[in-house]
Amino acid sequence: MLTLEGVCAGYSVVPVLKDVSLRVEPGQFVAIVGPNGAGKTTLFKTISGIVRPSAGSIQFEGIDLLAVPAAARPHLGIAHVPEGRQVFPSLSVMENLEMGAMTAAGQRGWKENIERIFALMPVLAERRSQVAGTLSGGEQQMLAIGRGLASAPKLLMLDEPSMGLAPAIADFIFEKLQEIRAQTKLTILLVEQRVAEALESADRGYVLEAGRVVLEGNNATLRADDRIRQAYLGM
Amino acid sequence: MTSQVVENILQALAAGILAGATYGLMCVGLGLIFGVMRVINFAQGDFMMLGMYAAYYLFASAGIQAGFGNVVGPYVAILLSGPLLFLFGYWIHKLLISRVTGQRMAGLEGEGHSAQLILTLGVALVLQNGGLIVFGSVLASIRTPLSSSAWEVGPFWGDDISIFVNRSRGIAAVVSIVAMVALAALITRTRMGKALRAAADNPVAATYMGIDIDKSYRVAFGLGTAVTAIAGGLLATNYPFHPYIGLDYVIVMYAGVVLGGLGSITGAFWGGMTIGLVQQMSTLVLPTQLQNAAIFVVFLLIIFLRPQGFFGRAVERT
Amino acid sequence: MQTLRSLALPLLVAAVYACIALVVTNSYYQLMLTLVLVWASFGLGWNILSGYTGLVSFGHAAFFGLGAYTTALGQLYFDLTPWLLIPAAAGVGGVAGLLVGLPTFRLRGHYFALAMLAYPLALLYVFEWLGYQELTLPIKREAPFTYMQFTDPRFYTLVALVMLLAIVAITRAVERSRFGMALLAIKQNEAAAEAAGIDTLNWKLRSIALSGAITGAVGAFYAVVLLVVTPSSVFGMLVSAQALTVSMFGGVGTVWGSLIGAAVLIPVSEILHAQLGARIPGIQGVVFGIAIVAVIIAAPEGVYWKVRDRLRRAGPAAAPTPAAPARVDLAAPSTPARAQRPDAWRTGKVLLSVKDLSISFGGLKAVQDVTFDIYEGMILGIIGPNGAGKTTLFNLLNGFLCPDAGEVLFDGRNMVGSKPHVLCQAGVGRTFQIMRPFPRMSVRDNVRVGAYVRAQSEEEARRLADDAVDRVGLSAVADKVAAELTTKELRLMELGRALAGKPRLLLLDETLAGLGHGEADEVVAVVQRLAREGVTIAIIEHTMQSMVRLVDRFLVLNHGAVLADGEPEAVTRNPQVIEAYLGKKWVAHADA
Repeated sequence: MLTLEGVCAGYSVVPVLKDVSLRVEPGQFVAIVGPNGAGKTTLFKTISGIVRPSAGSIQFEGIDLLAVPAAARPHLGIAHVPEGRQVFPSLSVMENLEMGAMTAAGQRGWKENIERIFALMPVLAERRSQVAGTLSGGEQQMLAIGRGLASAPKLLMLDEPSMGLAPAIADFIFEKLQEIRAQTKLTILLVEQRVAEALESADRGYVLEAGRVVLEGNNATLRADDRIRQAYLGM
Repeated sequence: MTSQVVENILQALAAGILAGATYGLMCVGLGLIFGVMRVINFAQGDFMMLGMYAAYYLFASAGIQAGFGNVVGPYVAILLSGPLLFLFGYWIHKLLISRVTGQRMAGLEGEGHSAQLILTLGVALVLQNGGLIVFGSVLASIRTPLSSSAWEVGPFWGDDISIFVNRSRGIAAVVSIVAMVALAALITRTRMGKALRAAADNPVAATYMGIDIDKSYRVAFGLGTAVTAIAGGLLATNYPFHPYIGLDYVIVMYAGVVLGGLGSITGAFWGGMTIGLVQQMSTLVLPTQLQNAAIFVVFLLIIFLRPQGFFGRAVERT
Repeated sequence: MQTLRSLALPLLVAAVYACIALVVTNSYYQLMLTLVLVWASFGLGWNILSGYTGLVSFGHAAFFGLGAYTTALGQLYFDLTPWLLIPAAAGVGGVAGLLVGLPTFRLRGHYFALAMLAYPLALLYVFEWLGYQELTLPIKREAPFTYMQFTDPRFYTLVALVMLLAIVAITRAVERSRFGMALLAIKQNEAAAEAAGIDTLNWKLRSIALSGAITGAVGAFYAVVLLVVTPSSVFGMLVSAQALTVSMFGGVGTVWGSLIGAAVLIPVSEILHAQLGARIPGIQGVVFGIAIVAVIIAAPEGVYWKVRDRLRRAGPAAAPTPAAPARVDLAAPSTPARAQRPDAWRTGKVLLSVKDLSISFGGLKAVQDVTFDIYEGMILGIIGPNGAGKTTLFNLLNGFLCPDAGEVLFDGRNMVGSKPHVLCQAGVGRTFQIMRPFPRMSVRDNVRVGAYVRAQSEEEARRLADDAVDRVGLSAVADKVAAELTTKELRLMELGRALAGKPRLLLLDETLAGLGHGEADEVVAVVQRLAREGVTIAIIEHTMQSMVRLVDRFLVLNHGAVLADGEPEAVTRNPQVIEAYLGKKWVAHADA
């Protein structure tokens, strides 16, 4: 479904991604883990078109993504739930969800999608007319995920949904992800610092370190490999 | 307090509200542009001038005078000048402004900020002087029979007090408020309006939603231009104008927008309203020549006491 | 001396200009020659504030107008000579600058720019109300030199030329001193400047006072040349715009910008006006406007910088200098730290003692009850996941933030509530996660910015900077401009900048971010060497990897609180730390 080959990218003088290749098959849940500064967020921004790669190719369902402008990519079915949530603070919860549904698919399926999102995360229904900037961190994260789902995507990209959240709330978010996965069989690409949780949910994992993929495989092989521990703890 | 004093205060209050409503609309146009894309547009006053002439020529030569008569005609012409100026603003942004704002300037370490300022200064110069060439320096005005008649409110309080409301100013105020409400509905209720607000809140996240930021900016610029132009047309029914009139008003607009809080659209309206009130009420205690000085003193006071304005967010987005 | 040498080119240009002026006999063209100089001077006055600090002022007409009215009124009512009134106008402009600056510097960005608009406009109406709609300077034919009413207009041009040269000299002197460096640092990043020991408010006030004084003097001279002063001709918005236009057209932050801007724009507009003005009124404004728009789209930073950057780029291509790879001179790279370093700190005294430090933002407890000590000569690693409060802790330590509770004792003194530049003077240096080099300045000059907090003289600042460049191993690239450096070299340069102020405690915020393995090792080696030389260091990183061999102790933060504090081996085995980094389930799994 999504294929990256030899992608290099960065900001002005700082190269961040160095020759990254990865594959996401339809229906798969793929996790990308790695310590901070490894280039995970840049990888997502490159897929979304905010960062332009200096080399390599990105294909989505056979389409050359690099030829598609950033704002057109969501309409192909790619939903990006960005790092640090980035809800629209001055819009209400409902309006944020409507923004998610700017895509044609989101428009068509709006009624069922919104019901499903509210059923999954009832707190969003309760606060539907509240301004998003006044929500708590966990609620904003749920809204960001709901906003992504509202576009009726084929691929949901989640960038560190647990960031800055208290452990209990992060756990809750992970449970929600499991539920979404169980209900929809949606293809998910997840970037996460919390290795164990991320790998446990995922079918397949990539370990990114200093802009390179240093390890890939399924949950069990990755967890057995001591290199993850090394990447994080240095010993 | 003698009834004369009360009458004077009420009269100034009424005049302030009438002037303030149109100023408010004027400010909303600028506030929209600033709020969505953080562009300081110095040509906004000249866009307003174009709106005045557009309404003037539409009224005189597009058969509107013949079709709608002298009373309704001017207002039809004013409303029609809106779409015209929308297109103008849309293209000015596409051809010029977009080249010095947004991602292209990201690498310039804040210099892009100066570039857009001086660019709009250049546009302002072209419009003012081009206006002089095309329209001439003779004072123009859109006179309606209403300009010279007034409604009398009252008398009340024992027949002592009555206020006179100039009819064309009254109508200008009403049209301004209607236009403001319509714009507010557009921004808060329609998909396009919500997308504009999303783009203003967080352009990158808006891109993740599939919103074309460049197009949103162009639309916002066009809308802002159109709204200010309509306010200009309404002013033109009460005051004569000339190609350099924009200079007199651009400052008032900025004062209003800052008063209301940079980035807030309803704030901009109330900011403009405040300017109108301060201007008219100050005549009660200050000599007329100091009327405008009073505006700027109030402006400075508020900026120091409450820099985020009446309605602004506490922190300016960086 | 250097300032004098730097004036050679301006003097040459001035000499040529003077020759041209002497040949021109037509009084209209002579006036134009004078006005070019007046507007160039005005642009330079504006540039002292807005060009160097980046705080765009729309209100310089306030100073210009006050200067003009000082001369006009002084001559009308007291019969004083302009030779006295122009300096007096400079004084008035300077004082006005301080009065405007004190309240207005509380505002930033757009708010500052827009607030500045209000001053000249309020003054405009006040002067109208005072009845000074049109002041004509009295004609003094009997004493032309005393009253600067020359019959030969060439004298005006010469006086203006001398004035402009004086302003150029002042600007150059500012540029090369700590004054200019402070302003540039403020433009780049005010917070970082404050952290580098620069008293930002103080320098900004000096800048606006000098800027106002120059502008006041120029306004005064303008009144003398034109003999008529009206509120709108000196306080009007177009006057402020004129300063902005000539400087930005030519390029801000350089003496040449205003000179180029005025030399091109003023004649173009005047000639158009003279040639076509009668037939097509306003044509000069249209052409002027189009020229501005075209130049801004082609060169958004102004003509000067565009040309300079182009020449610079063309330069190396024409004569390729052997690009010696910037080698970091290392005695023994990647040597294990503690093997070489005796644990001297164990016997040392406490340099920084933090007790129960807390701060919250809204409901979020960003840092809570954090307590730790840093001993002299030790390297402390502060680690923790994203959002753990590491940078907030640094912001508390160097004075950017004031804690809600707790104490920060530096060398025994409680520093809570001190401003960042005071802490820097006391010996707390710091680098930032996001690098902010001055891209067009050399490495040496970049580093020098950090030296002024210690240096008494320019000489000493230069010496401290050279020493710091040497210590971080950048001597080989010291004369390169920062824009040409690699990420690693930039990181080292930032380190050098902090080091130039001779800090006793150095706070390093993610100095290794964005570096590859080999590069990180090189930077680590530099940090180790600094520690051996006696600098106490606290370093923030997300990851432990490159830190494990570097630091003497770890302080692990999670959710704003201290999770663990101890020696590296112990900390990396601490289950709580592993949980924070790899998740609870990892620990469960590992135990199983």
